[in-house]
Amino acid sequence: MRISTLITGLTLVFLLPVGLFSQTYTVTGIVLSSEDGEPVIGATIEVKDNPDNLGTVTDFDGSFSVGVPDGDAVLLFSYVGLKTLEVEVSGPGDLGTINMFPESSLLEEVVVVGYGTTERSKISGSVSVIKAEDISETPILRTEQAIQGRTSGVTVSQNSGSPGSELTVRIRGTGTINGGDPLYIVDGVPVSGLDFLSPNDIESINILKDAASAAIYGSRGANGVVLITTKKGKKNQGGIIAYEGYFGVQSPSKKMHLLNAREYAIIQNEAYLAAGETPPAEFMNPLAFGEGTDWQDAIFEDAPITSHNLSISGGSEKSTYAVSGNYFKQDGIVGGPKARFERYTARLNGANQVNDWLDIGTNIGFTHFTRNALAENSQYTSPLMRALNMDPITPVRKFDGTYAYSLYADTDVANPVHQIEQTNDEWTSNRVLANVFTNIKFMEGLSFRTSYSVDATFANQDLFFPIFNLSVDTSLNDAPSIEISDENTVVLNRYSWINWQLENVLTYEKTFKEKHKFEALAGNTILENRQHVSGGANTGLPSNNPEDAYISNATGTIDSQTASEWATESSLISFFTRANYEYDNKYLFSTTLRVDGSSRFGANNRFGVFPSFSAGWVISQEDFFDIAPISFLKLRASWGSNGNNNIGDYAFSTIVFQGQNYAFGPAEDITNGAVATTAANPDIKWETITQTDIGLDVELWDGKLNVTTDYYIKNTRDMLYAAPIPHTAGTAAPVQNIATIRNNGWEFSATYRERATALKYSVGGNFSVVKNEVTNLGLGGDPVLSGFIQSANAFASQTDVGQPVASFFGYVTDGIFQNQAEVEAHAFQNEGTAPGDIRFADLNNDGVIDELDRTYIGNPTPRFSYGATIDLEYKGFDLGIFLQGVSGNDVYNGIVRYDFNYVNRPVSVLDRWTGEGTSDIEPRVNIKDPNQNSRISDRFIEDGSYMRVKNVQLGYNVPKKILETVRIKKLRVYIASQNLFTFTKYSGLDPEIGTIVRDNSLELGIDRGFYPQARTFLGGIQVTF
Amino acid sequence: MNNKKLIALVALPLFLMISGCDGFLNREPIVGETEENFYKTADDAIVAVNAAYAALQFERNPAGHFRWFWGDIMSDDSDKGGSGDNDVFELLLLETFQTPLNGELLDSEWKASYEGIYRANVVLENVPPIEMDEALKSRILGEARFIRSYFFYNLVTIFGGVPLADRVLSPEEYDLPRSSAEEVWALIESDLVQAAQDLPMKSEYAASDLGRITKGAAQALLVKAYVYQEKWQDAKSTAEAIVNSGEYFLDPDFTQIFTPAGENGPGSIFEIQFMTESGGTWDNPNEGSLTNVFQRARGQFAGFGFNIPTQNLVDAFFMEDPNNEDPRLKSTLFREGEPMGDRGIFTKDATGFPHDYYAKKYFNSLSEEASFGDPVNNGGSNDRVIRFADILLLHAEASYHSGNEAAARSSLNMVRERARAGETGVLPDVTASGQALLDAIYHERRVELALEGHRFFDLVRTGRASTALGSLGYVEGRHNLFPIPQSQIQATNGAITQNPGY
Repeated sequence: MRISTLITGLTLVFLLPVGLFSQTYTVTGIVLSSEDGEPVIGATIEVKDNPDNLGTVTDFDGSFSVGVPDGDAVLLFSYVGLKTLEVEVSGPGDLGTINMFPESSLLEEVVVVGYGTTERSKISGSVSVIKAEDISETPILRTEQAIQGRTSGVTVSQNSGSPGSELTVRIRGTGTINGGDPLYIVDGVPVSGLDFLSPNDIESINILKDAASAAIYGSRGANGVVLITTKKGKKNQGGIIAYEGYFGVQSPSKKMHLLNAREYAIIQNEAYLAAGETPPAEFMNPLAFGEGTDWQDAIFEDAPITSHNLSISGGSEKSTYAVSGNYFKQDGIVGGPKARFERYTARLNGANQVNDWLDIGTNIGFTHFTRNALAENSQYTSPLMRALNMDPITPVRKFDGTYAYSLYADTDVANPVHQIEQTNDEWTSNRVLANVFTNIKFMEGLSFRTSYSVDATFANQDLFFPIFNLSVDTSLNDAPSIEISDENTVVLNRYSWINWQLENVLTYEKTFKEKHKFEALAGNTILENRQHVSGGANTGLPSNNPEDAYISNATGTIDSQTASEWATESSLISFFTRANYEYDNKYLFSTTLRVDGSSRFGANNRFGVFPSFSAGWVISQEDFFDIAPISFLKLRASWGSNGNNNIGDYAFSTIVFQGQNYAFGPAEDITNGAVATTAANPDIKWETITQTDIGLDVELWDGKLNVTTDYYIKNTRDMLYAAPIPHTAGTAAPVQNIATIRNNGWEFSATYRERATALKYSVGGNFSVVKNEVTNLGLGGDPVLSGFIQSANAFASQTDVGQPVASFFGYVTDGIFQNQAEVEAHAFQNEGTAPGDIRFADLNNDGVIDELDRTYIGNPTPRFSYGATIDLEYKGFDLGIFLQGVSGNDVYNGIVRYDFNYVNRPVSVLDRWTGEGTSDIEPRVNIKDPNQNSRISDRFIEDGSYMRVKNVQLGYNVPKKILETVRIKKLRVYIASQNLFTFTKYSGLDPEIGTIVRDNSLELGIDRGFYPQARTFLGGIQVTF
Repeated sequence: MNNKKLIALVALPLFLMISGCDGFLNREPIVGETEENFYKTADDAIVAVNAAYAALQFERNPAGHFRWFWGDIMSDDSDKGGSGDNDVFELLLLETFQTPLNGELLDSEWKASYEGIYRANVVLENVPPIEMDEALKSRILGEARFIRSYFFYNLVTIFGGVPLADRVLSPEEYDLPRSSAEEVWALIESDLVQAAQDLPMKSEYAASDLGRITKGAAQALLVKAYVYQEKWQDAKSTAEAIVNSGEYFLDPDFTQIFTPAGENGPGSIFEIQFMTESGGTWDNPNEGSLTNVFQRARGQFAGFGFNIPTQNLVDAFFMEDPNNEDPRLKSTLFREGEPMGDRGIFTKDATGFPHDYYAKKYFNSLSEEASFGDPVNNGGSNDRVIRFADILLLHAEASYHSGNEAAARSSLNMVRERARAGETGVLPDVTASGQALLDAIYHERRVELALEGHRFFDLVRTGRASTALGSLGYVEGRHNLFPIPQSQIQATNGAITQNPGY
């Protein structure tokens, strides 16, 4: 105290002459950041309402000294990214430590919207924002994962846990059966798929959820829009060099409990005897077997994952730059390197101000990746299905070390370990996404931006099928055919996808009389898309080594060579306009209109018109509003429509295709035939989704608590759908605009943040409720069947009026017949129905159990989904926990191939019915299953709800004092775990099952041996120089 | 920079773009040709009719219909087989006459037939206006008429009267109701009479056209159409026209007929051509057949083990002489201990199943398979739809019913003589008359044509089904026709009605 008084005194003495002349006094202090207690360098300190512009900036240790005119005054402390602070002073002195807080109000966040940016408080639609800092602490493997659980209204699920596999993203429910994926726009360029993007390069992800926000994208905005902005340099910022890297190990988090060899033999023995057949002799004495083979242990492994990212960014007065390079490698927990995803990316983002009216810039990203694809989620070929179905008696290898085959299995269920070793399916993709833009400023408020972009992907798929024979005596071919391949084959497929887009936007902004803020925009886009696929194959390679698998090495005859080629193109022209009006930060209005013309529609209905309106009322700005803790309150409402043209090209015209061939002549020459196999519909038009949204944004306690909630109704009409037509037509059905779907839902998200105390924390949560219903499938529209289950030889799902999309449909079980009297008392099921079989409910009471007794037995779409984050910081340590879950959805457990009598089963079969009163759940075993206990029924429907500890991590920031000595600005080390715990009742390996087939909205929630997500432990480092 | 200039710079390309809109958005297919621009040349006519031939190969995708599903498995000749009762369970329900109404298999049969009919109709509508060689044109129209009537023949024998799609249907006509069986037969007859006039004889075709529909094929199908309608005189005279054409004779070696060398042999009147072509997949075996893999034994023989011959069928080959088997038995099915081509010896252990017999006529050896692609599925065996022996036996039947027993015996004994293959003491000439002669003709059909997809239809046609199949659940007046697929009744909002008894 004394010392500081002394210093103040000395300062005063030193400044005295100045003070005398200008009649000022001096105030000193030191400005520190509340975040880390470090000095804030270069913060501006001004005297409020001071015509002489008195002020200063803080120096290298955050200290300042400022002259203040005599009398009471207010000092304004400001710094980019920190909240402006007002401090009242009345005389000279030392203010001591001034803590500056980060921009705590989310409302002031800049949000990227279609063709522009705005502040969150000014938005009248429904937009979710995910910033780099929300995701940078967590290593995410794919961009879509950054969205999962972070925001309400968006459901993300894994299509597979294998490295590099796609995720399903649904914004506000499944609005269409024509691919429900949102439109992804990276730096203004529409792209398909996000596997090429390094998550490290992402600055922000903005999700336009309501129709009004997405309407500026008119066409293709129907499933919502995800705007991704990559990191740019900042003006007047010295070069920042940052390295981030991590290394981790992934391992399976769960195993299914299946029978061991002894138990398997007991069950098989019983199943044969029940069918009146003689069991294989070895099963007669089950005790002779031990544990046998655990096929899950045989295929699961610990797999490494690693990432390195180096970026340099900065800017001068006139230009900015950001360059980055990333390497990412992930092996699979099934297949290891045979399921590897390896990606290299390089990016250059730059902008330059040429003169006072012209800006130019470019964003260029290049990605090279390879993905080794293993058969997955297939009930016929995937190693996981095989491992879960293979009998435990068969060893992985024979005594001589070669792979063994099962004596019981024939088709489909082959040795999975051997299969993995024989798989050679490598995808290589090279993709350039580049855009150049220029911005011309005609005068204050009026500017024109034009950008040209190219998204070009060149991909190869290299396949090699080697020769193998697992027979004990290969001359006898004693192994089943699936374990023998007597010729090798090489296949090469090449793909090119080229899209280009030219876009022009004219923007005008003007504020009249301070309170009337007006913004108008008009623009157009032209876009062309071309796909080209070609491929070739040959057989008979002299070498069985995949390294030698080139078509020209093959010795096969000309007859065994194949070649194919395919190309298709589409184009789009759009005009759009938007007008925003804002009065006194209180009343917000926005309207957009977009007109799209697509080559996918015939001349009759080529153009679609998509309008929208939205309005916001910032109630908290009203004079009458005075509710203490509420610092901000906004009510918003929007209405708009979007289009969808995701139906493939040329559906409006009847096309005669070659390839309907026949063999004529003594040499069986393939002779070309051609016919149009699909009827055309020249009148097809845009599918339209209309959405109404009402929302409320509330901020309490000066931004400590933010709450947003929305209610919406989303109607899809004119849905493009090839409704089944009578077979009498002889062609595949034409695409028609007939079906309708309705989604309505409610979303809520809240964040509470406390940054001012030593223990800084934030707690956030969101949840979404969505109800999905098909409201019309056209006149006499049959239900759409999906989800084929081979073991029941039937479809598990159907989409029908009055039901959610792809609902499970089948029989209802009603316990087990305990005795013959019960069998006879019940409706007729089957000739062979006996005590111990499942009693199926006779829903129509007609005395017979048949197809008419099926009903809706489950819904694969979650009733609600949620996410929660907890972040804590204390003295350099940080702890982050991220939870995510869904509830109210069902999974169809189709893992066991009951159509084969030799497959292994879950241990629940040990509690089977063996006599009256023994079980009312698990039926008897019988290799013939005369009652068809394995038909599609609620027996296989399980609750798919889960809550997952998606990420937990503990980090430590090395104090700056230590780092300064080695010229490091920031050094953070962390350890983290992904998918640490999953709480679920589901009995399979992983309840998080997305659409199994890419972009097919109707293959939902079916487990056919799903590739599970790994539990990962990793350690990482983040350094900034 | 002058603002006006700038605005002009921006506006001009905008204007150009708007005016160029329509051209930019008009995209014609790159691969393939729009229908309006097709059907201009003789080559277009040929590929158009080739596409109708391709429909004959439909077995699974876009829809499946094995003739042996209906003709053999439904009869007392064979059982379903497969990996167990639940492997294509629908087939088990069908063969035990617990017929499901909404089965996938009947729906596929219906669908594949109408797709073939559509393709034939496309030819019949689009080829006539083409300026081309008239002889070639009438041949092509004849081929299309045959293909259309072949599919209608399948439909009418399986379902009875069906919608008479004798033209490419417009969307307004998609829910065409059923016509009577008589009307369907009338269209088949008129198509085949016309086709028989227009089509060249087998020997008149160039070698490279082997496999195309001949005059003989049209006449042969016409014989069948007459027989079904019991127009015995017409059947007899048409069959005689085939015999007298001199185009066909019985291959002296019965064992050769179902080998690759026996394809399109001297006794072949209509065969669907299949080949072991490369590159097929499970859903699209291209020019290959799935019959081979479906009928081969499982286990080491790499098949699916369907169409398992019954003891009842085997007994039929011992019916004439319990001590001497009919020589055709060894070409009809495999018995334990026999080699299955080059795939090894048939033992129950090697198949993994307790079946005593496996169908042989469509068995293929490993060496006959495609060398590449999905060889398991690409079987090369042609489907022998109409053989000369079949026509001779129908001639015998028609002659019998026309009161000419001598002609009946003559045709019957031609078939038996070939079957004897020079052996003495077996299959003596039939000398019977009256009902005994008719029974002999029926018996001959069963053993000569066993497992070729005829049995069930023959039993129904001749009124013997309830005797032969009653114990399996067959009810006359109900199961003589299969039910119309429920899906098609729904898809037409009830315009198509169900068969009696279902």
